[in-house]
Order: sequence, then structure tokens, then C-alpha cells
Amino acid sequence: MENKFKLVKLEEQASEHILAPNYSYWKSVFRRFFSSKVAIFMFIISAIIILMSAIYPLFVPYSPSYTPNINDFATRFIRPNLEYLFGTDNVGNSLFDAIWSGTRNSLAIAFTATAITTILGVTVGAFWGFSKRIDKFMLEVYNIAANIPFTLLVIVLMYILGRGMWQLIFALSVTSWLTTAYFIRVQVMIIRDREYNLASRCLGTPTHRIITHNILPQLISVIVTAISRDVPTFISYEVFLGYLGMGLTQSDASLGRMISDYSQYISSASYLFWLPVCISAIIAVSLYVVGQTLADASDPRTHFI
Amino acid sequence: MRKYIIGRLIRSFFSIFIVVSIAIVMIYTLVPKENIFFGDSYLPKLGSKPDETIQYKNSRWEELGYLDFVQQSDMCKNSDNYSGCMVIGSEESLVLKANYVDEGYTVDTFPKSGFLYAYKEYTAVELITNWFSNFIQIDNVNKISDDGNLDLERKVYLATDYNGLPAVKCSGCENEYLMYLDGSFPFIHQNFIKLNFGVSYPTYSGVETIDVISSGQGTYDYEDVEFPSGKTASSPLDLHNCTYKATSTLDRLDQEKFDSNYANCSFNYQDPSMISTSYLFGILALILSYVIGLPGGIFMSSRKGKLADKIGTVYINFMIAVPSLAFIFFAKLIGTAFGLPDKFPQFGFNDIRSYILPVIILGLLGTAGLMIWTRRYMVDQSNADYVKFARAKGLSQKEIFNNHILKNAIIPIVDGIPSSIILCISGAVITETVFAIPGMGKMLPDAIKAYNNSMVITLTFILTALSVLALLLGDILITFVDPRIKLDNKGDSR
Amino acid sequence: MEKNVVLSARDIEVKFKVRSRTLTAVRNISLDLYDGETLAIVGESGSGKSVFTKTFTGMLDSNGSVTNGEILFKGQDLVKIKNDKEWEQLRGKKISTIFQDPMTSLNPVRTIGYQIIEVIMKHQGKTKTEAKKLAIELMDRVGITDAAKRFDEYPFQYSGGMRQRIVIAISLACRPEILICDEPTTALDVTIQAQIIKLIKDLQVEYKFTTVYITHDLGVVANVADKVAVMYAGQIVEYGTVEDIFYRPKHPYTWALLSSLPQLGVKGKDLYAIVGTPPSLYEEVVGDAFAPRNPYAMQIDFEEEPPFFQISKTHRAKTWLLDPRAPKVDPPIEIQNLHERLMAIAGEEGGGYHG
Repeated sequence: MENKFKLVKLEEQASEHILAPNYSYWKSVFRRFFSSKVAIFMFIISAIIILMSAIYPLFVPYSPSYTPNINDFATRFIRPNLEYLFGTDNVGNSLFDAIWSGTRNSLAIAFTATAITTILGVTVGAFWGFSKRIDKFMLEVYNIAANIPFTLLVIVLMYILGRGMWQLIFALSVTSWLTTAYFIRVQVMIIRDREYNLASRCLGTPTHRIITHNILPQLISVIVTAISRDVPTFISYEVFLGYLGMGLTQSDASLGRMISDYSQYISSASYLFWLPVCISAIIAVSLYVVGQTLADASDPRTHFI
Repeated sequence: MRKYIIGRLIRSFFSIFIVVSIAIVMIYTLVPKENIFFGDSYLPKLGSKPDETIQYKNSRWEELGYLDFVQQSDMCKNSDNYSGCMVIGSEESLVLKANYVDEGYTVDTFPKSGFLYAYKEYTAVELITNWFSNFIQIDNVNKISDDGNLDLERKVYLATDYNGLPAVKCSGCENEYLMYLDGSFPFIHQNFIKLNFGVSYPTYSGVETIDVISSGQGTYDYEDVEFPSGKTASSPLDLHNCTYKATSTLDRLDQEKFDSNYANCSFNYQDPSMISTSYLFGILALILSYVIGLPGGIFMSSRKGKLADKIGTVYINFMIAVPSLAFIFFAKLIGTAFGLPDKFPQFGFNDIRSYILPVIILGLLGTAGLMIWTRRYMVDQSNADYVKFARAKGLSQKEIFNNHILKNAIIPIVDGIPSSIILCISGAVITETVFAIPGMGKMLPDAIKAYNNSMVITLTFILTALSVLALLLGDILITFVDPRIKLDNKGDSR
Repeated sequence: MEKNVVLSARDIEVKFKVRSRTLTAVRNISLDLYDGETLAIVGESGSGKSVFTKTFTGMLDSNGSVTNGEILFKGQDLVKIKNDKEWEQLRGKKISTIFQDPMTSLNPVRTIGYQIIEVIMKHQGKTKTEAKKLAIELMDRVGITDAAKRFDEYPFQYSGGMRQRIVIAISLACRPEILICDEPTTALDVTIQAQIIKLIKDLQVEYKFTTVYITHDLGVVANVADKVAVMYAGQIVEYGTVEDIFYRPKHPYTWALLSSLPQLGVKGKDLYAIVGTPPSLYEEVVGDAFAPRNPYAMQIDFEEEPPFFQISKTHRAKTWLLDPRAPKVDPPIEIQNLHERLMAIAGEEGGGYHG
């Protein structure tokens, strides 16, 4: 029997071997996201709606002021059937066409406003969090803007600027970016002073690498959360303003205006009223759930559960 | 502490000032001033009379503060030779015209009569200063000057009103009663200081905007009244709010009822004012959202990960994601199935059924944010070190919750009240519009559709002021519940 | 004189469910606590020291459980306790714990007084006035000046050291039999450290309880401990009196720990540091867990787990080096004559080591 009690040379490398499993951030994000059946379901629904509203109006354009069948009484108020999937309205236009055009406008407005809000907000917020001088100034501005109820602001702005798509996008994003910037500023201030950043600085990591490798990943979850909140909010406002007749112009398709116009048919041709209402709700909810799940999945702290 | 409050008040006023100024400037310069005549029913009657049309429009614009409008008769008052000036095409009038042009006026002639008229639009700065300088109006004994009543007594005196309660009355002021008591909130009323927000036009034409939203609505409320002259009758007049009427305009009916010139009284209405209506709905909805939201969030945090938590999360996601308008309609669908009215005026103020649906909707709209916040806070607190130590001390979960966590939780809850109030204002605009509730929220889109600029600015002011003061209130309240915070002028407030 | 055993842990194993894997944080520990003594548990982060003591009070995280063994305390097997109500009878009353950070152990929005009397009122059934009187006496005893006035103050009005005193006061308010101190001085500065340690020692004599110190600071160990348990990778690798451990250590890990004392550093030479990192406890450990980092490892260390070898009545170590078949190995130069060298340093600096 060999002598097991002989001293063995110490292998330094072997003891440094860390047995923690490999970790890939993005892989974990997607794994967590797709592990939720609800999220997958909502993702599919929102994908369908987005694709339909992006592609369909390209082939079948619609405008409320374009009414070719207005004199053909037979085409009016047809209930949903195989030919007119969503039925027709009071001037003989297909509600199917109308809804996809309207949804397309709602989504375009919501996405554009969200993009502006997020890009502007994150950029300003990041600098805001770092610089003490900017902080003092921006806080005053933020305090003033945060005082105004958002609905009041949007309505008055639309009054001043007049109706139209870009006016609406402007009204929605002009102060929203401040809120996002404030969020980001708070996060940056917390993260900036955390020890691992001080350690990075000590080790000589250049500032831009600190920002991209240390700070930004922490922010991703916050940013995605903000986006997932902004999109449904903006959809909601577009619908509401359309309902009031203050959003898009007369000749643009708008879910809100459809709801307003068809509310009188709520008992006679209820499908005209409820279809736009339901579609607006469905698209907003599905986008929100997708966004929330993504935000949750991109938070590194949840990757350990 | 006091210094902080004063500092914050000044900052708050400054915020309101900035917001309202921006609104004024933008509305007056960017909204085409022609638009205000959309709802004017008088203008079409002037039809094809160009002179009258120009004069009417410009007078209206002047009244609303857009511009300074002068006609040849006013312009000539400054010249030495009035009659010569009034001749069309005369030297004097041309000189006058040149003078006005130099001062920045646009001078033009009436197409029919040939007389000159001139106007100058106010600059942004002038717009703002005009608005704010007229803002606060203080009543005083020398306010009234009536050619028909030259020996009007000028005094302020204590007296009893027609109910026998003490009051401060005035002779020579615009208002008869400067201060009086009665049974309606806030019990002590004053007429010393009045805030002038401008005159409403074209809707509620001629009435001050502040009166539009703070006077009662609906039909007159008749009560048996004893007039100062001793006569009793059933009348809707509110004898506490009578203003001076020039002697030349007093008629027989006035002299029968009143013993002085203060015969121009406001009316009592059946229904509450717009402000009161919005306020009522707001408070009820706020209470409801807290009653549901707080316990809901707490319950969810205690059942974290379990079914109740999941159901709650679904509810919250639904409330946040679904467009408010869609939600209101869904709720209406359910409500009308129970026989609740789908528009407020159907049953009106006196029927409780009118209140149920809007209050529930407005309340529910506010619960989502509260529940998220409360739940997250509770979860965070459960993981806090002091909770760990409390457990090690041998305290039960219930004791830790009631005696420790709750006390910590009150702080952010109180902190969140102002945001809830602001949210309520936003939600109110949508809800009131859909239900046709006659409140301030509905007034906003109505005013905008009618191009009623004064009203829009008034509402901007009031709603912004409400938000600003709500925030200030929240910060002050926090000092009462969090012993660590001593307010001072440094640090960010929000 | 034989001291009584106040708590006896046998073959304790603790497992945690993390993600979908299982972590064995404590692998088979047996330990006795003797009445009135101070036991120090030493080890690196992750060695399982805190986890082990949490089993005495049922304070393991929700994903952890005691999967084997028994803990006998006053005739009861603590492992068998399943509901919180029973634990509440023990926590604070019979077994108290002090945590590392006094800054966050107290509720910031409750007065200090309240946090003391709630414990007294709950466990001893006293009225508010009686409890207040006791609390003020207690505050006095732990060194809070002006106790009656400071009773109504809030934690933020106290300094770190004072807060830790209050924490101690709260823990001892109901005269527990065992006090567990989980790194109580790590978050405090050195001068305060000494005061707190002395306070706990004095109170131990006066109130007669058993103390368990969890620490990685050998200086503190030398100061307060009667018995020392050295832990590595979820096991006790050496156990003995403080003299046994400091003057006659037998386990290579203990040697390594002692060698790492910064006081032993010689100017101009590198400080001693143990190479490598502790093993992952997700996997089952084969052989001696310390083997990959052990300069005195033998082939058998990689194959079979060593048993405990009893060195003296009080002293045992878990290393194959004590097997008669193993070669004779001397402890490293750095720690020979440890006592004399540390006393010399203490003499130079005037503090830091109390032999």
C-alpha cells in the first residue's frame, strides 16, 4: 500500500479555482423573461397588434374624412361578419381598417414620445447625478415642473399648439423627460458612491468604462421599468385627448375619437364603441406586462432566485 | 422651522407665478385671437356691418387684455384742438396718427366711417404684469365714487347682520359686508380681499371666472328673507354679498327692499359650486383609495409570492396599464347594470346614486400606485436590520409589525399624500368629463373648446396652486411623523 | 471543577436552497457550551459561524433548514421547534443575540426607552412603570450617563458606541442564559471596541451568562475567550481552551490563521496570507476541505475526511497530521513562541494584545 501520509506539494493554482457557475447577464435576462408563460403570451399578443397596425394600413389606408361609401346606405352599420371583420360604421367605412390605423397612430405617438423621454431623460439624468452644480440648478427646474398636474399640462399645451401628431408628441414628452431624468439622477447618485465604483476608480478604470460597465447595467432595469410605464400612460393620454377632440386632427384616425364618436351607438351598434375601447386596453396591457417582466428580468438581483 | 416654511411658501408662489406666466404668454400669443369668437352669438348678428364688427372685436380683445385699443375720439382727447382733430384727414389727425405709429401702434381706419382707430398688442412682459397687477383687489372705504351720491358716508363699522350675528360692515366700499359669519364652511367669510382672475368669455360672458367656479349652480334657491327695509319675501338673494349700485341705477324694486345703495346682491343656488363639487368627489375618492390601497398593499406584502399577492399584482397591472378612459367605460358598463346612472345630471346632486360610480372609479384609479408603494415598502422593512434584531429579542411577527414597521411606514404614506392629491386632480378631469359632472375638472376641456382663455388661465392657476400647496403640506406633515427630520433650507425637497 | 453543560449541539447539518441547488453551510458540528464560559468561534467569511449560531434561535433564512442533528437546551431539542411562538419563548428571554451593526439594529423612529421596555414587558410581564424603572437602571449599568433623560431620545441622537451599549442592554434585559455576539465590534472603532468588550465581560460575571463570540479577529479572541472553536468550510477543525489554541495549535488552518496576525509582520517582508479561497459548499467535499490550501497536505487529505484526534482533555483537532502514521511536523516559525512575541509587541505599543 502506498504511503498516503506523505506530504504533497501544494498546487497554488488549484486552490484559486472558483467553482461558481458561469454567469451571462443577457442569457439570464432572457431565461427569466421566457420562464414566465404570461409574459410570452402577452409578448405574442403585442407583437401581433404591432405588426398588424404597422403593416395593414400600408395596404389599406384609412382616414375618417375619406368616405367613399357615404351614400351607400347598405354599407352602414354592418355587424361584424366574415367580410367586415369588425363591422362598418355610420358612413360605411370598415371598422377593421379604422382600428388598425388608429392603433398605429396611438403606438407611433406613444413610442416616439417614450423614445424622446427616455433618451433625453437618461442622458440628462446621468450627468445630473454626477455633477453637483447641475444638481442644484436642475432641482429647482424639476420642482417647478413636478408641481403641474400632467393632465392640465397636456391639455393646455394641446390647446396652445393646436391639434396634430407632433404637437401631441411634444406635449407628452416636454416634461416627462424631467421625471425620467430625476429617477436616473437618484439611481446614479446611489450607485456612484458605492464601493465597487470607488474601487474601480482606484484601480484606474477610465470614467467612460465605469459608466458603461458599472453603472449602466444597474440602470437598465430602472430604464426598462420607466419605459414600460410610459408607453401605456401615453397611449392612455392619446386616447383621452382623442376623446375630447384635442389630439390628432380631424382627418387622422384616432382610437379616442372613435370612442367619442361612437359612444352614441352604445346601445344600437355597440361593437362600434366597444371594439376601439377593448383594443386600446389590450395593447396597453400587453405592452405593459411585457415591459414589466423585462424590467424584472433585467434586474441582476433577481438572477439569483 | 418657520424660516423653512416661509422659504418654501415663497418658492411655491414663485412656481405658481412661473407656470401661470408661461401659460398666459403662450395662450395670448400662440392661440389665434380670432378663435375666441367661435362661441360668440352676438357677432353673427353684426353680420356685414364692418365698423361695428371691428369695434366689437377690438373692444372685446381689450377687455380680455390682449391689446390696447383706442379710437379717434380717445386719441384726440390728447390734442389741443379736439374738434379739428376729429375731422377726417385733417393735419391734426395725421400728426396724431404718426405719433401713435411711433409708439408702436398699428393705426387703421374704419372702412365705413373713415375714423381712425389704433391698437397695440401687449408684449409678454406687459401681459404678465397686467394680469398680476390686477390680481389682488382690496376693498376700501373710498372705492365707490358715485356722482349721484356725493355725501356718501365713508366708514367701516361693527354691526349685527340680519341674523343677529356680529359682522363688519362698510359704507363707501364696494361690498356692504366686509366680514360676516354664517353656517357654511369656512364659517367666517370676508370680502376685503378679492382675487381677480379675469372675466369669462365667451361662455359665462361677463362673469368673473372665479365667480363662475365658486358660485353655486343649478336653479335658484328660494328662502324667506327679511330685507333691510323690513319687507319680507321669498327670495334667492344672498343678502351678505351685496355690492354698491349707483343711485342713478336704483329702481323702485330696489328701494322697496333696501335702505341703502347696496342693492346688487348675489344669488343662492340649489347646487354646490364647481369647486365644491370637485372637492367633494376628490375627498371621497381619496379616502376610498387609501382605504383600499393601504391595507391591500400591506396584505400583499404579508402574503408575498402566494396567491393573494399574485391576484393583487394582476389587479395593479390592470389598473396601471389600461387607459383610464377604457377603464371608466368598463366600470360604467358594470355600474349601469346595477341601475346606476351613466351620467351625473341624470339624477343630480341629491341622489346618492349619482355619486357612487364616479367616486368608486376615481378612487380605484388611485389605488394602484398606493398598493405598489406600500407593498414594496413593507417588503423592504421586513428585511431591515432592526426587524432582525426585534425578532432576536423575541417579539412576534405581529408585534413587530404593529409596533415597529407601521410606525416607519407612516412616513412614506404621509409623504405620498400630496402626490395622491395631484393624481386625483388629473383623474378628476377625465372622470368629470365622462360623467358630465359639473366640476372644475370638466370645466377645463369645456373652457378650451370654447376658447375661453381667462377660464383656462384661471384653472391653470388654481390647479397648479393646489398641487404646489399639497407638496408643501406633505413636507410639513412629515416632520410630525419622522423624528429624524428637522426641516431646514438645505437639501432637495422632492 | 466540572462546569455544567448549558447547551449541547450534536451532529448539526444545515442546508440552504439557492436557485435550484443546495448549499451545505454547516457540515456536521458537535459542540458543548459550558455555563459561565466564553466561547469564541473563529473563521473566515463563509465558514458557517453565523449560520451555526442562528440554529440556536431559529433565525435561519427562510430557505435554510437544519437537516440533521440535535441541539439540547434545558431538556428541549431546539431542532424540533417548528412554530414561532415557541421560539419567542427562547429568543431574548433565554438566548439573546447581538448583531454586528448597532447603527441599524435599532428602530430609528422609536425611542430608545420604548425599545428596551417592550422586551421587559413582554418577557417578564411587568407594567410600563416597572419596566421603565428597570430599563433606566439597565441603561445606567451599561454606561449611559443621564439615563433618565436619555430614555426618551431617539437612536439618531446616540453615538455608535452608545447604541451598541443599548443593544447590549436590551439583550440582557431579561437575563438570558446565553448571549450570542455576532461580530459585535467590527463596525466600531478600536477604542470603543475595547470598552464594549470589557462591558460584556463585566456583565457576564455579574449576570452570570454564557457568551458565544463570533469573530474573525484573533485579538478579540485572545482577550475574552475561555474556549475557542476554529471553523473552516462548515466544520469545526480545532477546539480547545484559548491557551491550547494560541500556544499549542495543531491544525494547519489554525497555524495559518495565527500566522496571519498583522502584529507578526516583519518590516520589509511580505505579510503572510493564506493562498486560495475556501471551497464551494454546493458540491460535496471529498477529504479534508482545507487540503488544497494546506502547505502540509498529504495524499490522504485529498481522499478521506480526517476524524477528530483528542489531544488533551480540552483540546481536539481534525487533521490527519495527528495520526500516528503521519510525519512529525512543527508549526511554522512565525507562530513559535507566539506568546512571548506578542507580549513584546504589546509592551512596545502599549496595547492590542492581552495575554
